Amino acid sequence: MRRAAVYLLALCAAALAVAPLIVLALLAEDFASVFDSRNLTLLFNTLLLAALTAAGSVLIGVPLAVITAFVALPGRRVWLALLASPLAIPSYLGAFTIYAAFGPGGEIEGLSGLTTPAFQGLIGSAIIMALYTFPFVLLTTRAALLNQDRSLILAARTLGIPLHEALLRVALPRAGRGIAAGALLAALYAISDFGTPSIMNFDTFTRLIYVEYNAYGLSQAALFSLQLMALVGLVLFLESQVGAVRERPGEALLIFPSRAAVLALLASVLPILMFAIVLPLGVFALWLAREGAASFDVAIAWNSTYASLLAAAGAAALAIPVALVAQKGFLGKTLERLCYFGFGIPGIVMGTALVYLGLRLPMLYQTLALLVLAYLMRFLPLAIGATRAALDKLDNSTMNAARILGANPGEVFRRVTLPLTTRGIIAGAALVFLEAMRELPATLLLAPTGFETLATYLWRVYEAGYFGRAAIPGLLLVLLSIAGLVMALAGEADRDRMSTSGPQGATA
Amino acid sequence: MYRRRFLQSAALLSGGTLCSPLLPAFGSSGVSVDGLPKLKGNLTLYLGRGEGGLYENVIKAIEERNPDLELGIRRGPTAALANAIVAEHQAGVERADLFWAVDAGAIGMVSEAVNPRDLPGDLTGQLKDGFRYSSWTPVTGRVRTVPFNPQRVGAGEIPSDIVALTNIDKRVGWAPAYASFQSFVTAMRILRGDDATGSWLQGMDRIARRYAGELGVVMGVERGEVDLGFANHYYTLRLKAGKPDARVGLAFTDNDAGCLVNASGIVAINGSELAQNFVRYLLTKEVQSYLSREAFEIPMIADAPAPPGLEALASVQPPRIDLTQLADLRPTLDLMRDAGVL
Repeated sequence: MRRAAVYLLALCAAALAVAPLIVLALLAEDFASVFDSRNLTLLFNTLLLAALTAAGSVLIGVPLAVITAFVALPGRRVWLALLASPLAIPSYLGAFTIYAAFGPGGEIEGLSGLTTPAFQGLIGSAIIMALYTFPFVLLTTRAALLNQDRSLILAARTLGIPLHEALLRVALPRAGRGIAAGALLAALYAISDFGTPSIMNFDTFTRLIYVEYNAYGLSQAALFSLQLMALVGLVLFLESQVGAVRERPGEALLIFPSRAAVLALLASVLPILMFAIVLPLGVFALWLAREGAASFDVAIAWNSTYASLLAAAGAAALAIPVALVAQKGFLGKTLERLCYFGFGIPGIVMGTALVYLGLRLPMLYQTLALLVLAYLMRFLPLAIGATRAALDKLDNSTMNAARILGANPGEVFRRVTLPLTTRGIIAGAALVFLEAMRELPATLLLAPTGFETLATYLWRVYEAGYFGRAAIPGLLLVLLSIAGLVMALAGEADRDRMSTSGPQGATA
Repeated sequence: MYRRRFLQSAALLSGGTLCSPLLPAFGSSGVSVDGLPKLKGNLTLYLGRGEGGLYENVIKAIEERNPDLELGIRRGPTAALANAIVAEHQAGVERADLFWAVDAGAIGMVSEAVNPRDLPGDLTGQLKDGFRYSSWTPVTGRVRTVPFNPQRVGAGEIPSDIVALTNIDKRVGWAPAYASFQSFVTAMRILRGDDATGSWLQGMDRIARRYAGELGVVMGVERGEVDLGFANHYYTLRLKAGKPDARVGLAFTDNDAGCLVNASGIVAINGSELAQNFVRYLLTKEVQSYLSREAFEIPMIADAPAPPGLEALASVQPPRIDLTQLADLRPTLDLMRDAGVL
């Protein structure tokens, strides 16, 4: 009975995620030709960008994961937060500021007289994407590394293998799943992001979708979106093939570096932070100084926060049943996978699909409720991922013990499962909050008329050319996102503690 | 910077700026805001992306003049709003009373889909001949021009036929992804047919350098990266306003797509008197002269002079074309992609 209710809720979440796909299919129906040679180029470009982004994020993310997981640096938490903070900056802001800073006539040339090479095309897009997606790899790899017991590496060391080789040959192979999961997230991001490739002038599926959309080829744009979905589906399938490795519980490795080594590590980390964090914030500060701060309505920041909080709460509530059913059975896993599709639909197409959907429910159309629903459809996967990760960590024997002691399943969930996964759920909700704060295309189309958010306000002043006015809301957006990120990391920290604190046995 | 200047010119419809020294140039042409009925009630305006700051200033001024007007504004990319309006109309859930956009093509698509009530003759009669449409109202115009660098090309060297430009031994800057350029190609298709347009694109591609937008084209001409280019007129005028000694001149072709006059416009979707009266405000000499003065856009009301710096417009003969036809963009994009320029 209760079980049926859980499945029913999960089914609702999946239906919510698939609904835009159905709208897209209906819109695409009007269009005849399905695939032509131009698509091949786009497909190739898109895959190339995804592959390079994934490779770049692994190159940056994995070494940083090893450092943050194993090395006893002073202020480890701070370093982790700093290194994860590119997640708090929407990559379109990063791409835009890097574009404005580099190249002939850029801000760097204006300040120092040095001409820097311009970022553009495939390489420019891949570098920028990698700079803003490597935290995915960092976080997933780090979690996998922290799960490993140090005894194997110590054994390798006693057998005479140098430390770096032991890390390379013993630790990293076992973290393969974490690395792959992060790389696939980065690839997914690269496939569905529109802002970066269009600023870098590189042709991908999302750019073509945008061109068609602006030429009123809605059905064609919908068709291309469905083709893009096929790519997303492929990535999700690959991700599902990455099997879980259960590690024996134990203590994680800890390396105490020399002072010189610490300095060398910091020196190697700094350029990345300079590019991904300092540069965008610096450009904003420069514009602020140049054009002066204009009055800013605080209500806009509140609108953003309020809508995003509602979305985060809703996502947390819906993610629990989906994550529960995803733990067992084919049906549950399928429902979970279906929920992931919304993540891959380009924002503007999703916005339009939801306009059509919203018009079927005129009482909801252009209300806050529909906007929050749209956020849910797009970002639910983030909450599901975090909640599932927390649930997977739980030891079944705890729940079984509660059952033996006479608790019914509902009580077990309320008094054992839920309290033990709260941090994970909050971390997921925080990620949803983060994404909802910066969502733009669907917000423009679906928000109540006159409801301005930080992202829509930024868009408006950027359009009008008042770069100086973009500074305060831009910085606010980053600050509020960092608050969300800290919450997400706090959940992460809790998972670390649970998985490393002694022999609580994962033998089920 | 011209941006700074329009920050300072917010209260354009208030008494003070009415006596601005630039107004006499407008002479007797156009209706004054003082003669218009006060706007009372609720209106929802869908505002497509465009001259963001300037249009916002106009709207703010209208709101200040009409305290009983409850104006809701939905802003978004032009195409997205146009698609939304059409979807709303099909579903019978109409929310927009007015749609104001910089792209005549979007206006054409919306007015075709919702088929608004005909505008009264005394309203359309205020417009320049050739720009009177019964279902929508052009607000300001922009003409296609050939900006050139006078240190590299003499004005006399530039052919007056856009087709002849493919034979010129110069470097040309263009922005194929920019909507105004695409409208220009659409106009060429309508005037000359697809085949001629396709071979023109291929011919130009050999000597052209691609820019992301047309401000970039004009700046490239000024810096000497290219010798001449294709761009809407106001980019050159705005550049010269901020940098009077800029090395860029304006040439026009004659009676072909190269000197097409395109327009931003507004549709009164539900055709109510209130919505139509809102449109009247945009055609007042105050608003028209403001947009002309600050953004160098071409006023659309009859007998109004060209913006400062564009006096040569009087001698240009633009092609006659129904601007709503410019909505037929898909074949244009196919053509451009086949030619390898997009």
